[in-house]
Amino acid sequence: MKVLVVDDFSTMRRIVKNLLRDLGFTNIQEADDGSTALPMLQGGDFDFVVTDWNMPGMQGIDLLKAIRADSSLAHIPVLLITAEAKKEQIIMAAQAGVNGYIVKPFTAGTLKTKIDKIFERLA
Amino acid sequence: MNIATAGHVSLEQAKSLVEFLENDQQDKADALIAEINTPNNSELFAEIGKLTRQLHDSLNNFQLDSRLNDLAKADIPDAKERLNYVITRTEEAANKTMDVVESIFPVIDDLSEQVQNVAPSWDKLMNNKIELPEFKELCVDIDTLLTTTGKETQHIHGLMTDVLMAQDFQDLTGQVIRKVIDLVHEVEESLITILTACGISAEQPNGEKSVSPKVGDNLVEGPIVNTENRNDVVEDQDDVDDLLSSLGF
Repeated sequence: MKVLVVDDFSTMRRIVKNLLRDLGFTNIQEADDGSTALPMLQGGDFDFVVTDWNMPGMQGIDLLKAIRADSSLAHIPVLLITAEAKKEQIIMAAQAGVNGYIVKPFTAGTLKTKIDKIFERLA
Repeated sequence: MNIATAGHVSLEQAKSLVEFLENDQQDKADALIAEINTPNNSELFAEIGKLTRQLHDSLNNFQLDSRLNDLAKADIPDAKERLNYVITRTEEAANKTMDVVESIFPVIDDLSEQVQNVAPSWDKLMNNKIELPEFKELCVDIDTLLTTTGKETQHIHGLMTDVLMAQDFQDLTGQVIRKVIDLVHEVEESLITILTACGISAEQPNGEKSVSPKVGDNLVEGPIVNTENRNDVVEDQDDVDDLLSSLGF
């Protein structure tokens, strides 16, 4: 399974990559914002996107909307891991078709639970 | 009161003058003459005096705030540099820690694999079911395991000390941030002084709650540090899950 991790902070990408590796995901690529992520997604056969919300350039929520609007990408599950914690934003993400929403700071356990739930639902 | 213009006597004033003279009130008559000659502008003068005083005070306040000049030209650029230092130091510490942790993972995995390899033969030994050739082989494996474990635990101990030392950023960044907080406080006081000098109240209109911080596109605000004072934000992951499930997600 090919995963794209999108975050503007390299340390957070590194943490998420390590956690994903522990969960058995070995094919992981990185992007530092939505506008770098989108062409990568369009060019490669990614199966899962884990993205931050607040990034310079294209934000995670806009990346999510772009993925849902592109018929060749619309099926890809998207997990948001973000410090954005306004109820209005969580509703916004849900309406845009997010598959999971993790609020920072988070734990390895939370990540595992949310990922399990996402793939359980898709199965 | 009517402000009479010099040189123009009103009928009313003329009547009063005659009355004063008839009643032998020379003082009042003289005073009235003086008033007719010099129009009574005392209110106007008082007003101009007040404005002059205000202008003087305002100019004085601005002079006092020459400190503002230092703040803008030196202290604030310095604070930006300090905050960048915090970003650099915390990033370095995070990377140093992750370097060590990532280098320990394979070592632990290797030890764990070796333990799993000897486990079946070891079980046989403990249950008196082991044959001599397998026993000999087990002895060699256990010997290797003991040597590796001894060496690697010492190695890991050294690496853990590196992780420990990587946390020294907290003391330094803490001091830097405290200094920036003091500066922000000083800027706040100066801005209030300016607002006051300009006659703008810094207080919120009564009863109104404090203004929310500025948000970016899609309401982005970053980490919320005062969740307990806000009712428009979630406090933790449970709140997120509850909200989403209440929406049917």
